[in-house]
Amino acid sequence: MPQQSDLYDAILNGDAKKARATTETALAEGVAPMELIQGSMVPAMDEVGRLFEAEEYFVPELLLSARAMKSSLDLLKPLLSASGQKMSTRIVIGTVKGDLHDIGKNIVASMLEGGGFEVIDLGADVSPESFVAAVKDRSPQIVCMSALLTVTMPAMKTTIEALKNAGVRSQVKVLVGGAPVTMQYAKEIGADGFSENANGAVGLVKNLLAGAAA
Amino acid sequence: MPIGADLVLHEQPDPEKTRNDGIALGRVIEQTARRWHTPLAIPLMDLRLEKADLLARIGIASNDAESYHFTAPLDESTLSALCGEQAAPLCLGSVARDQAVNYISSIGDLVAIGMAIGPFSLATRLMSDPIAAAALAGRGIAPEDSAEVRLLAQSLHAAEAAVLRSVRSQIAHGARAVMICEPAACTAFISPRQLRAGSQVFERLVMEPNLRLKAVLDAAGCDLIFHDCGELIDPMVEAFGARLHPVILSLGGSRKLWLDARLVPSDVVLYGNLPTKSFYSDGAMPVEEVVRRSSELHANMKACGHPHILGSECDVLNVPQARSTILAKIDAMMAVTATRD
Repeated sequence: MPQQSDLYDAILNGDAKKARATTETALAEGVAPMELIQGSMVPAMDEVGRLFEAEEYFVPELLLSARAMKSSLDLLKPLLSASGQKMSTRIVIGTVKGDLHDIGKNIVASMLEGGGFEVIDLGADVSPESFVAAVKDRSPQIVCMSALLTVTMPAMKTTIEALKNAGVRSQVKVLVGGAPVTMQYAKEIGADGFSENANGAVGLVKNLLAGAAA
Repeated sequence: MPIGADLVLHEQPDPEKTRNDGIALGRVIEQTARRWHTPLAIPLMDLRLEKADLLARIGIASNDAESYHFTAPLDESTLSALCGEQAAPLCLGSVARDQAVNYISSIGDLVAIGMAIGPFSLATRLMSDPIAAAALAGRGIAPEDSAEVRLLAQSLHAAEAAVLRSVRSQIAHGARAVMICEPAACTAFISPRQLRAGSQVFERLVMEPNLRLKAVLDAAGCDLIFHDCGELIDPMVEAFGARLHPVILSLGGSRKLWLDARLVPSDVVLYGNLPTKSFYSDGAMPVEEVVRRSSELHANMKACGHPHILGSECDVLNVPQARSTILAKIDAMMAVTATRD
């Protein structure tokens, strides 16, 4: 369908206005929301991710495409809720306690939404208690934590311990990321995964979910 | 030498009190320089101070400054308050910073160095979504056509004024050089794709304000040390080296300095760039790897003949749980030049 091609292109080109307009047109013509998501939006973000890995797109392009996707998704979410349909997976994300940096976390959140996941963004400086509360209240499958400073990274371990103490650790997969974070550190603190960048986070979530389903 | 004042600060009985006590902070900076046998008294890298001072001009308390962001274009009176020439009190940290510079300036065998966040990096900290704004600007969208691009332009204007005030104050307190830190002037904020397509966004947002800053430093007889630990492409390094022409160019761990030596004039000293952000982890960066990388860097820089100071990719933050690990690796890095020179 031409609208779906236009929507794909709008997201690929990071054109939020056009993404929203083509979504409105498609909905008016009776295209189902999930068809738009699975048929255009997720494939467009997959291509964005491929271009990022190929070093043809960079963080600014990633962000504009994710914003274009979000502008379209914002039109679809109420329709999905009304029809009882849900996004496939729910993810809670936040920057850990003591750390106010949120740009990287925001990019990851945008990319995860672009990947077709439901994202609950707790913001920055999120206490372990807040992460625990979010897991109990919202039942996510995935918890993502970000830290930009070596001095705030220990809060990732504290949060994982808090999840254990609250008896909810086994309900979620915990992913970590941020400039000073490494795969080794992720393993040391008992995280389930680590990603170096926002695009990698999407692939990691998909792999974890595929592994869980197998 | 590492950028190591934070490590020494956290040896003090009350680091937070020391941070806001100019003389005590000056002593920390002096100890840092002496510990690592350098005349360069590089200050504590606290890049929050200019934002706090700037926002205080519109009534935002210091405690709230770090998390405060502009969300819409500023009205004229706010912009005027931010950018105006009127004097305004500095936050405790800035007062201490200036007093520390003054303390160092009285010590004959140390070079008093000031420090400030760069205008572009400060502008990004004033906004909640600076990358999108820069990306839109990079597409040629004008301030009059986009609230985000307009806010970015206003934030940059305010940021430049703030940095100039900070730099002038530190020069007045005896700084002979100022280290301008622009970690946001990198590919996370400025797209290489846009630059390859001919966008002037790097020129407008990064180079122009920093060139104006350089002119102020030159007029005051003060040297520029330029620091950018972000991911860079060669044209960015070339521009920093050749056009800003700092006395020292400090780059992050992603660069190979012996290759960057071809991009910058021979009288620009390259500083860095061991990946000290991962020193906390023996798994990610065992001490043997620190020695290997330090040796490789030292040898390659000697081979290419470009002036180089072996050091850290950024300031080395004190991590209480990993302090001894970090210090051992700093010692290992320093030992490489001690045995080989």
